[in-house]
Amino acid sequence: MRSNSIYKFLLMGSLALGSASCKEYFEPTTAIDEESALTNAGDVETATIGTYAVLLNAAYVRSVHFLMEFPSDEVAQGQSSSDDLTRAYRYTHINTSGHATNFWGQAYKVIAAANKIIAYVPDDASTTLRQLKGENMYLRAMMHYNLVRVFGRPYSQGNGENPGIPLLLEGLSEEEQNDISRSSVKEVYDSVISDLLKAADLMSENKSNSFASKEVAYALLSRVYLYKEDYVNAVKYADLVIDSGRYSLTQGSEFSGYFKTAPASNPETIFAIRHMPVQDRGFSAIGSMYFSSDPSGTPQGQGVSGWAEIYASQKYIDFLSQHPDDLRKNFISPYMVDGELQHNKKLTPTTPMYYINKYSLQEGVINLSSPVYLRLAEIYLNRAEANAQLGNTQEALEDVNLIRTRAGLPDSELYTSSNMGSKSLMDVVLEERWLELAFEGHRAYDLFRNNRPMERDYPGTHSLNNTPTTNTQQRVMPTDDRVIFFIPQVEIDRNSNLTQNP
Amino acid sequence: MRTFKKCVAGTYRGSVRYTLALLLGASYAGPMLAAPLPIDVLQVDRKVIGTITDESGETMPGVTVLLKGTSLGTTTDIDGNFQLNIPEAQLGNAVMVFSFIGYEQQEIPLGSQARIDLILKSSVSVLDQVVVVGYSSKKVKYLSSSVATIDNKKLRDVTSNELPNLLQGKAPGVVVSTSSGDPTSAARILIRGAGTISAGTTPLTVVDGNIGGSYNPVDIENVTVLKDVAATGLYGSRAANGVIIVTTKSGQPGKTKFSFNNTLGFATATTGKFKLMDAQQLYDYQSTFYDRDPSVVNTNTNWWNEAFRTAVVNNHNLSVSGGNEKTTFYISGNYYKEQGTLVENDKTGYNFRTNLQSKLTDKLTAKVLFNGTFTKDNYANSNTLYDAYNNMPFDPAYDEDGNPTDGRTYPDWQGRDRENFLHSIQYNYSNAKSLTINTDINLDYAITDELTFSTYNRIYFGNGQSASYNDTRTKQGGANGGELYNGSTYGNRLLTSNRLRYEKDFGLHGISLLGVAEAEKSYNSSASSSGKGLPPGRDVMSVATTVLSNPTGEYEQVMFRKYLATADYNYDNRYFLVGSVVNEFSSLFGRNNPTANFYQLGASWVFSNEDFLKDNKTLTFAKVRVSNGTVGNADGISNFASLGLYSISQAASYSGLPGAAPSQKGNPDLTWEKIRSSNIGFDLSFFNRIDLVADAYVKEASSLLYRQPLAATTGYSYVWVNAGSVRNKGFEFSLTSTNIKGKDFSWETNLNMAFNRNKVLELSDGSEVFNSGASQPIAVGHNMDEWNMPIWAGVDPENGDPLWEKITYDANGNAVKSVTNQYSEAQTADSRQFTGKSASPKFTGGLSNTLDYKGFTLSAFLNFVYGNTIYNGSRFYFDNDGLYESYNAMVLADGWNRWEKPGDIATHPKPVVGGNKDSNQTSSRYLEDGSYIRLRNIRLGYSVPSQVVNKLGFNAISVFVSGDNLWTGTKFSGPDPEVSLTQVNQSSGVSTIRYPISKKILFGVNFSF
Repeated sequence: MRSNSIYKFLLMGSLALGSASCKEYFEPTTAIDEESALTNAGDVETATIGTYAVLLNAAYVRSVHFLMEFPSDEVAQGQSSSDDLTRAYRYTHINTSGHATNFWGQAYKVIAAANKIIAYVPDDASTTLRQLKGENMYLRAMMHYNLVRVFGRPYSQGNGENPGIPLLLEGLSEEEQNDISRSSVKEVYDSVISDLLKAADLMSENKSNSFASKEVAYALLSRVYLYKEDYVNAVKYADLVIDSGRYSLTQGSEFSGYFKTAPASNPETIFAIRHMPVQDRGFSAIGSMYFSSDPSGTPQGQGVSGWAEIYASQKYIDFLSQHPDDLRKNFISPYMVDGELQHNKKLTPTTPMYYINKYSLQEGVINLSSPVYLRLAEIYLNRAEANAQLGNTQEALEDVNLIRTRAGLPDSELYTSSNMGSKSLMDVVLEERWLELAFEGHRAYDLFRNNRPMERDYPGTHSLNNTPTTNTQQRVMPTDDRVIFFIPQVEIDRNSNLTQNP
Repeated sequence: MRTFKKCVAGTYRGSVRYTLALLLGASYAGPMLAAPLPIDVLQVDRKVIGTITDESGETMPGVTVLLKGTSLGTTTDIDGNFQLNIPEAQLGNAVMVFSFIGYEQQEIPLGSQARIDLILKSSVSVLDQVVVVGYSSKKVKYLSSSVATIDNKKLRDVTSNELPNLLQGKAPGVVVSTSSGDPTSAARILIRGAGTISAGTTPLTVVDGNIGGSYNPVDIENVTVLKDVAATGLYGSRAANGVIIVTTKSGQPGKTKFSFNNTLGFATATTGKFKLMDAQQLYDYQSTFYDRDPSVVNTNTNWWNEAFRTAVVNNHNLSVSGGNEKTTFYISGNYYKEQGTLVENDKTGYNFRTNLQSKLTDKLTAKVLFNGTFTKDNYANSNTLYDAYNNMPFDPAYDEDGNPTDGRTYPDWQGRDRENFLHSIQYNYSNAKSLTINTDINLDYAITDELTFSTYNRIYFGNGQSASYNDTRTKQGGANGGELYNGSTYGNRLLTSNRLRYEKDFGLHGISLLGVAEAEKSYNSSASSSGKGLPPGRDVMSVATTVLSNPTGEYEQVMFRKYLATADYNYDNRYFLVGSVVNEFSSLFGRNNPTANFYQLGASWVFSNEDFLKDNKTLTFAKVRVSNGTVGNADGISNFASLGLYSISQAASYSGLPGAAPSQKGNPDLTWEKIRSSNIGFDLSFFNRIDLVADAYVKEASSLLYRQPLAATTGYSYVWVNAGSVRNKGFEFSLTSTNIKGKDFSWETNLNMAFNRNKVLELSDGSEVFNSGASQPIAVGHNMDEWNMPIWAGVDPENGDPLWEKITYDANGNAVKSVTNQYSEAQTADSRQFTGKSASPKFTGGLSNTLDYKGFTLSAFLNFVYGNTIYNGSRFYFDNDGLYESYNAMVLADGWNRWEKPGDIATHPKPVVGGNKDSNQTSSRYLEDGSYIRLRNIRLGYSVPSQVVNKLGFNAISVFVSGDNLWTGTKFSGPDPEVSLTQVNQSSGVSTIRYPISKKILFGVNFSF
């Protein structure tokens, strides 16, 4: 019995030892090995979807919106916020800005993801793969362009010779990626244009407006050329979009509800960052800063569905109110109680609470929106501005009037070359861009790149820059250092080749 | 068993002798068979009597008296007397065993005696304690390594359900820090400084001989902390941060003992020197820069008092233990409920343990250990704590009818978040429930007298559920018509540890050899779902009208495998040598480097056993210990840290289509972090009443695991690398003195202190700084926790602007220092500076005093932390010079003053609505001295005299009153200077919106019978 039990135990022991001797490796379940991520045509589509998905991160879509929109004179911040967005609004930037750091990081993530696909797919691949490669080139161009808008001075200043941003193209070694320095504004624009041209050439599928396609690249080209003051090409690419027949201006009630419909069913949207109903960001959504309501969309006080502390400025409201029939009033939801407009009382003078609803109520979800990046109305107005610069008054006014008519203005409110009064043709075009594209991140660029100052004289936290703080005047010259943002200090800390903006 | 009965009824002697020999084990067989049995003693039962006293001559009640090898036994009465009838069949070579907790057990062969009077010696000497180290147990005085043992009695003065809270300050070099007073959050332990940057700093826990496992503090017999490599090395790869060995209680042979312990107490939040403004103070302060209707002061809500309460702490434990020489048992059930001082927050724990041990045959011993726990955590409403600090006193908590106000709709609400947590907590909740089961099956088989085979096996199952409900009537749930989040987790872990041990003495030489093969595999899964559009008060998913966000779910597996061999040698109990090698594999690491080898060497010399000290009356024990070796660290990194990954989770999907996005940069060479450590220590005992244990050590970590942040242009946020080296060196001691030991009165003092210095020696690729721009950037030549930030230069006397130091370089490359009121000029690589201040303390320690007088015991325990600097990050919110006119503000601390007019020399800038030039951004302004000394516990206990107890039919009754954290001395301006002293997410020593720890008063009654 004794020897028997020894035997049993040695057997048990050797079994246990045997089971202990193997080495097992495991794979994650929510990620795949990069070695196997891009190995066939099917992977390219999956990876391309992944590139788009980065755009959904609040660190991208929300931060870049704040950086582009809040420096404008169409919004008024009614109270100081714990969020870095206050500094974007007040032009009191610091080099550790959370939103600038977020945006920079995410934009380069998109570019790096796109580069992997661009490098993987040869130019002579199948139609489907060429399309996908083109989409990635479009996304890379869009990111480089957004970066150079936020961190590089307007092209019109110094003819693009000012420092731009690092150009991250495929094929760089790890070291080169890490030690990259800033290209000039011009070099960045040239690269963006070259990417977009190639993207347009590669793409041949008419995908929905949640994705890039040939006309999406053309549409962005019209804007980039406009910013680059290459007006002939701005007109050319606007024409290619308009004449493609893929898009039409929404009309009447469809226009009034423009931002409440899902992008796919909107014929005017050229490219939007599609958010599905399960991608509602709640109080962290863009719309939460602008709007607060009950589930039916009726405005409520602050904190009900959103923070609602950034409003349409009194300046914008006054301008919009010139024409009582203007359908664009529908994008404003004044917060009324018993028929009385409410004010945010945190400042003196108090700020009227004109809620903005362009980022709310998509598909009936209060804080859901798919921010529109390109839409047909802008392309008309790009063409109008370029034509105005080229001296083609009639063509410019035709496009302006098309937009005004669509907004419900009567013929008596349309422009002719003889009824502009003291306004210049550029005034007329820029005013229409302001009215139409308000809150979509255009206004500050439209002014500064045209060498015009930003004038604020309405209640808002920018008055806190003044003594006394009841003085609401603020004028930002296009040459002001703070027309652009500081390069995130943390990036300079990691890459000493990056130079800081003054 | 049959054989035994037969022998009791036995009629012929030979078989009795043979059976007894079998029963008592083979080793007794020789001498017993050789001893002739006197014929008369076999014929009748014998009554044995006696009196037991202690060394001072006092009689000892309650001493266990047992006939060895049987369950036959008794305990002494109040006068120390016992009597026991020994059946005739048992009289042959009967051995009597006398035991009492805290005294050395004695075995007396009965022989022909009918009376045994005995003096039991107390076993207080630290050096005679037997401790579990590595894979064996040894007396402290024979160890070659640095360990600290804390027994149950010392451990359980403070009342908590978490071991770290009980360990604080009780062993040198063991630094415990609580980052929250929330009973649902655990404290952190750091042993001998942090040697790692990104990997974990949590010590390895070993429960009852196997890595990991669960336990409740009430069931702990003792805790041993292994600090140096000679001891920790056997746990190899994962012992870099030290090892905490928990041994749970087991039954003692003899009478079945019932023990019933109850504690009831009350807790309030500590607030230190911290004060928030009341309505009038806030109005007066704000009226210097902000226009507000004076009528606001008509409301004066103290939000702090609304958020905090006097909380109740309850602990009830019933245990039953006993057994006989063959089989013992310990069964314990425990209920613990601690309310947090913050409303809605509490923790409830149920714990059940059964420890069984049985000699199955004379060669085979089995242990079956079972521990089941059920825990329910109720979390505080997400905003309660934040609102307690920041809500404005001008806003009412309740309306005229006494109902909580709703900040969203209350007219003229002043606070910026428009939130009254009292309104939300009427409906909302967030909780988690978990059930864990650990079962150990351990077998020891003596193949020969010298060779033992053991197999230790553990199965763990864990299940967790969490729910978070935001009602549609509240701010949190209003936008979505009610929200519900449900989550569940499941985990299992299988561990087998198989050991072969050989032990033999050759004259004065003793050797012991051990080989171990161990493997461990764990599996974890989780899933969650969320819904919205729930009718008011309906908190189940089936009533949700639609999905809030997509459901999630995943699972992961990890494996470890280890071989180790160790050899011990001792000569004449004077010279000791120990050496070991470990080879370990982990699936966590890159395919190129998944295994690593470690070695450990230790030696010690008991020089008090040498002739020249043998009879020394002053130095009664003396030993020197040295050790050197390597251990590893694999803790704290993600399960797939080495892989280059594309995420395929929902975050990579777009427009309803599945996607894959680059999410992690790979490093196939990623390998174990290695720590080489050396220790020299002395154990000295003077006059047999003063014990000094002192150790000096150097720990040098190389190939540090580090989550290196990357420039955005690489496309990734970080990569896991092995980089650089960090050194910790330090000195620690523990001094225990029995100051007075009299008949009725005794007084014992323990002082322990630890000094640790940390320095980054080098970084990979010759970099100077790892995470430049961070507040604790990890730079060569600096303490890892040293603060680096813009330097606050005070307030401009002219205009009240904030000033920071600005450094520029002139044409010759010389640094030029000036001041600036532009934060962006101070927050540059050139202007930021090392402050010479660190979040890690210069020293930590504890001082305890215990006084006994007859049945009374008074103990007081202080712990202290000195020389650390805290970044008081919450001042961002309530000490910000006007940035948030719609938050409450703190009352300026002593010595602080506010700029009011030109010429003022002030600590605080002029307040400006919207903030004075980013004066509240990160800078040395918010660095504060974090040193403190705290009366961690004071306790008065009384044991009811035995004559009274025995009349009532009990064995012992004791009562106590105890106070935790009643007094704190500190200069820190926040409510509580205790912050996390270990790096979490690459930062330590930060105090933000702190949930302060509790002051507790507790009452306890313990019975046993």
